[in-house]
Amino acid sequence: MSKMLKKSLLWPFAVVAAIGFLSMGCSSNGEFGSSSDAAEKVYVAPGEHDEFYGFFSGGYNGQLGVYGLPSGRHIFTIPVFSQAAVNGWGYNEETKPMFQTSDGFVPWGDAHHPELSQTNGETDGRWVFINENNTPRIARIGLDEFRTQEIIEIPNSAGNHASSFVTPNTEYVTAATRFSVPMDEDNLQNMDVSIDSYKDNFQGTISFIKVSDEGHMNIDFQIRMPGFNYDLSHSGKGPSDGWAFFTSYNSEEAHTMLEINASKNDKDYIAAINWEKAAEYAANGEGKMIPGEHYRNYIDHEEGGVAKSELIEEVRVLDPRELDGLVYFLPTPKSPHGVDVDPSGRYIAAGGKLSTVIPVHSFDKMMTAIENEDFEGEEQGIPVLNYESILHGEVENPGLGPLHTEFDDKGNAYTTAFISSEIVKWDVETLEVVDRIDVYYSPGHLMIPGGDSQNPDGKYLVALNKITKDRYLPTGPEMFHSAQLIDISGEKMQLLLDFPTEGEPHYAQGIAAEKVKENQKRFYEIEGNNHPHAAKSEKETRVERDGNEVHVYMTTIRSHFAPDNIEGIKVGDEVYFHVTNLEQDWDVPHGFAMKGANNAELLIMPGETMTLKWEPKKVGVFPFYCTDFCSALHQEMQGYVRVSSEDSDVEVSYSTGQS
Amino acid sequence: MKISKIVGLMTVTILLLIGCEGGSDTNTEATANKEVEQELTEFEMTNGIGPVNEEITIDEIDPELAKEGMQVFDMKCGACHKMDSRYVGPPLGGIMNTRTPAYVMNMILNPEEMLEKHPIAKSVGSEYPTRMTNQQLTREKARAVVEYLAQESQ
Amino acid sequence: MDTKKRISMGVAALILIGVYFVPIWSISMDAPQYPEGIGMNITVDNIQGKEKNDLQNINGLNHYIGMKEINPDSIPELKIMPFIFGFLIISGVVIAIVGDRKWILFWLGIFVLLAIAGLVDFYIWGYDYGHNLNPDAPIKVPGMTYQPPLLGSKQLLNINATSLPHIGFYISLLSMGIAGTVWWKSKED
Repeated sequence: MSKMLKKSLLWPFAVVAAIGFLSMGCSSNGEFGSSSDAAEKVYVAPGEHDEFYGFFSGGYNGQLGVYGLPSGRHIFTIPVFSQAAVNGWGYNEETKPMFQTSDGFVPWGDAHHPELSQTNGETDGRWVFINENNTPRIARIGLDEFRTQEIIEIPNSAGNHASSFVTPNTEYVTAATRFSVPMDEDNLQNMDVSIDSYKDNFQGTISFIKVSDEGHMNIDFQIRMPGFNYDLSHSGKGPSDGWAFFTSYNSEEAHTMLEINASKNDKDYIAAINWEKAAEYAANGEGKMIPGEHYRNYIDHEEGGVAKSELIEEVRVLDPRELDGLVYFLPTPKSPHGVDVDPSGRYIAAGGKLSTVIPVHSFDKMMTAIENEDFEGEEQGIPVLNYESILHGEVENPGLGPLHTEFDDKGNAYTTAFISSEIVKWDVETLEVVDRIDVYYSPGHLMIPGGDSQNPDGKYLVALNKITKDRYLPTGPEMFHSAQLIDISGEKMQLLLDFPTEGEPHYAQGIAAEKVKENQKRFYEIEGNNHPHAAKSEKETRVERDGNEVHVYMTTIRSHFAPDNIEGIKVGDEVYFHVTNLEQDWDVPHGFAMKGANNAELLIMPGETMTLKWEPKKVGVFPFYCTDFCSALHQEMQGYVRVSSEDSDVEVSYSTGQS
Repeated sequence: MKISKIVGLMTVTILLLIGCEGGSDTNTEATANKEVEQELTEFEMTNGIGPVNEEITIDEIDPELAKEGMQVFDMKCGACHKMDSRYVGPPLGGIMNTRTPAYVMNMILNPEEMLEKHPIAKSVGSEYPTRMTNQQLTREKARAVVEYLAQESQ
Repeated sequence: MDTKKRISMGVAALILIGVYFVPIWSISMDAPQYPEGIGMNITVDNIQGKEKNDLQNINGLNHYIGMKEINPDSIPELKIMPFIFGFLIISGVVIAIVGDRKWILFWLGIFVLLAIAGLVDFYIWGYDYGHNLNPDAPIKVPGMTYQPPLLGSKQLLNINATSLPHIGFYISLLSMGIAGTVWWKSKED
C-alpha cells in the first residue's frame, strides 16, 4: 500500500523529466568539417610559391598586407600611411616627408581599398593604389620593390572612402568625400559655421587624380557635389568606359545620429559621372581654379630615394550645375554601400545595405534614359533618372545587409551579406540566386583576383570578415580579423581555409603571381646609388661637423661598420648617421640602432643609404649595433660613439679597425 | 606464360621499391652528394671554378682599365680587403704574383662554389670567420679589378 | 487525509520556492554570427541575458529592425509574479495543514488558470513586441514581423529563435502533478 503510494506520488517527477528532456532541442551551428580535399587545395609545399599575391589593406594599421593565396600565408607588410618602427619608415630622414600634409606631419592613417593598376581593363602588376580615409590621401606602391613611392593629399575633402578605384587604363584614380563639410560657395574653403546649418553650407567633392605613365599623381579636377556622404566607387568598363559610379547615402543630409536620421529615405543615389566629358571640360579650361592646398610626397629616385614634398596651391573644380551632362543621379535603395560594375561593363550592382534586394542598374538603359531626359526630378541641380527606366532588375532574397559584389569569369556575381553572415552567388543576367554559403562572421568586402576588372579569375574568393570571435586561439579582447578562402571553381561554393589578417582589412585585391614575381628588385645597385649623403666605399666614410650638425658617412658590410669608433660628438649636437649598405646580395639588409635615440632603427637594404637623426642628451660612450642577423659574426657588428659635454674641446675623430 | 608473369610482377615490385627508395629521404642524398667531392681538373686547380674557363694573361697593364678597376674595387671590395693588411678578408697587395687572373676572377664571380669546392680557396677561407660574399660584378668589372690588382702587385 | 498526503501537499507547495531561484522560461537564438548562441531567461521577477551582455546585444540587434527595447523594469507582470507564487506557496501550505481535499482542487484550479493566463499574457507581449515596430527603423523588411514563438523554434530572418520552458516551469508542473496526485489518491479517504 505504502509502496503503491510512494510510486504514485513519484510519477509526476518522471513525467516532468521526460517533457523537459524531449524539449531540449539541439541546434547545430553549421561548422564546416575540414576535409583533406580542402587541405590539399590550399597546401603549398615547403619551397613552393603561391599562385596569387593578395594585397590586403591593413585598415586602422595604415599599411598594406601581402598574403599568398591559396595558402593564406602572410608574406609581408608594406608600410604606407603609418610610421613603421620595424624598418624606420616615417622615422628616417629619407621617408619623413612622405607623411607631410596640409595639417602637418600625420603619422597614422586608415587604409581601406587597395586597387591594382590596370591596362586594358586587366590588372598589370605595376602598382597598387590605396586610399587613406581619415586624412584624405592616396598612396601608390611600386610592385617592383614593394614600397610606397608616392602619397598625394586630397583637398576640399573630409574622409576619403570612395577611393582608390582606377579607370580601365589607370588614366585616373578616384576619391570622394565620405563626410561632407561646410565649404563656401565661391572657393570651397572651410567655414566656421554651426553644425546644424548642414543643409545650407555642407558640400561634398568627387576627385579625379590623373596618373602619368611613370605613376605620378596629380588632381586633374574635382566635381562639386551635394552634401551627402559618398561611400564607394567603381569605374565603368567596356561599353561603360568613360563613366564612374559613386554611391552616396545620407541624402537626408542629417548631421547627428545618422544611424537613424540617415536611414529614413527609401532611396539614396548612385552618382554616375561622365569622367571622359569632365576631363574634356577640364582640358578646355572649364570650371575654375580655386585654392586647395595639398601636398604631393614622392620618393625621388633621381636623388637617392630621398622623399620630397611638393605643395600644390590650387585645384580645378567643375560644377555640374553649370556644365551639361557631367553627373546624373541613379536612385538606389537604401543607403547603398558598394557599387560594382560587372566584367562586361553593362551592369551596375549596388549593395543597398539596408535594402532587402540587390538593385542592378543597366548601363544601356541609363544611357537611353539620359538621351530621352527620362528624369524623376532633380536634386540640387543634378538630374535624377527614373528608377524603373534604368533598372536591369532586383535580386530577390540576397541575404541581409548586402554590401559588396565581385564577379567571376562565368557570368556570376558574389555578394556579401553582412547581417546574415553569408555570401550569395547570383546570375548577372537572370538575377537568380544560385548558391549561398555561410561565412564566419559578418563579411564586409570580398575579393576575387581580378574580380573588379574585365578579366576575373574564377578560382578563389576571399571573404573579409569583420568579426573573428572564436575562429582562432583567443588573444584577449583584441584580435586580428578573419579571412576565409572559398573555392568558386564549381557550381557550389566550398569553404577551404580560415586565415587571420593583420589589422582590419577592408578590401583586398589579388593578382596572378607571374605578373609580379619576375619584376622584383633583389637589391639596389651600389653604382646607381645617387643619395646625396652616400658613402659608396669605405674610402669615402668620414665624420664632418658643421656648427652643431654632425654628419656621419658610414658603411656596412658583413660584419662591421666603418667607422665604428667616433669621438668629438657633443651634447646638443644634431647627429645624422648616413648609413650605406655596401652589400650586393639578395636578402642581406643591415640594421642600425643607437642607444637612447628618440627614434626607430634604420633597416638598410643592400646598395641603399638611410639616415637616422640622433640628438644625444647625455655625456658618455654610446654603443650602436646592427639589428638584422646578417652573418655568423652579427653579434660582433657594433661600434661606439663618444659623447662629450657641450663645452668640451674633443675634436671630431673616427676610425675603423685601429687598435 | 607463367614465368613471364612472375618476371613482370617482380619487375613491377622492384620498380616500386626503387621508387619508394628514391622518394624516401632527401637528406641522405644531399649528404651523399657532398661526400662525393668532384675531382677538379688541372685547369680548375690553377684557374678556379666558375664562369671564367679560359686562361687570361696580363702582359702589360692598361692604366685606364686599372683605374676603372680601382673604382670598382673601392666600392665593392674595399670594405673587406686592404692591400697591405689582414682585414675582414685576406690582404690583396701581392695577389697577382701567386694567383692567375682567371682564378681571381672566378673567386670574385663565384665565391660560393669556390669556397665550397676549391681546396686553395677553402683553406684560405678557413682562416677568416666571414665568408666572402658575391658582390654581383659583371665579368667586365671583375676583369677590371684584376687589372688593378695586377698593377698593385707590381 | 493522512499525514503522508498532507506532507506531499506541503512538498507540492514548498518546492515552488525553487521558482525564485531558477528561470521559468527561456528564449535562445542561433545565428551564424553568434556561434556560442545568445539568449535570455525569464525568471519570476526579471528578464536576464543567458550570458552577461546578451540582453544588451539582443536589444542592439533589435533596434535595427525597430523592435522595442526589452526593459524588465517596464514589464508589470514581473512585479506581480513573485506575489502570485508567494500566494500559491502560503495557501498550499495552509491547505496541507488543514488537509481538506476540496481545497486542493481549488488551489490546483487557480494554479492552472494562473499558468494559462501567464502563457496567454506572454503570447500577447510577444505579439506586440514583434509587430509594433518603430517606423524609423533603419532596416524595414516588407511584411516581416518578429514575434518570437511561444513554444518551439521559428526562423526570423537569419536568426533561429527557440522558446522553451525552463526549470522553474517544470517545478510548477511537478508541483501541480504532486497536488493532483494527492487529490486523486485521497478520494478513497
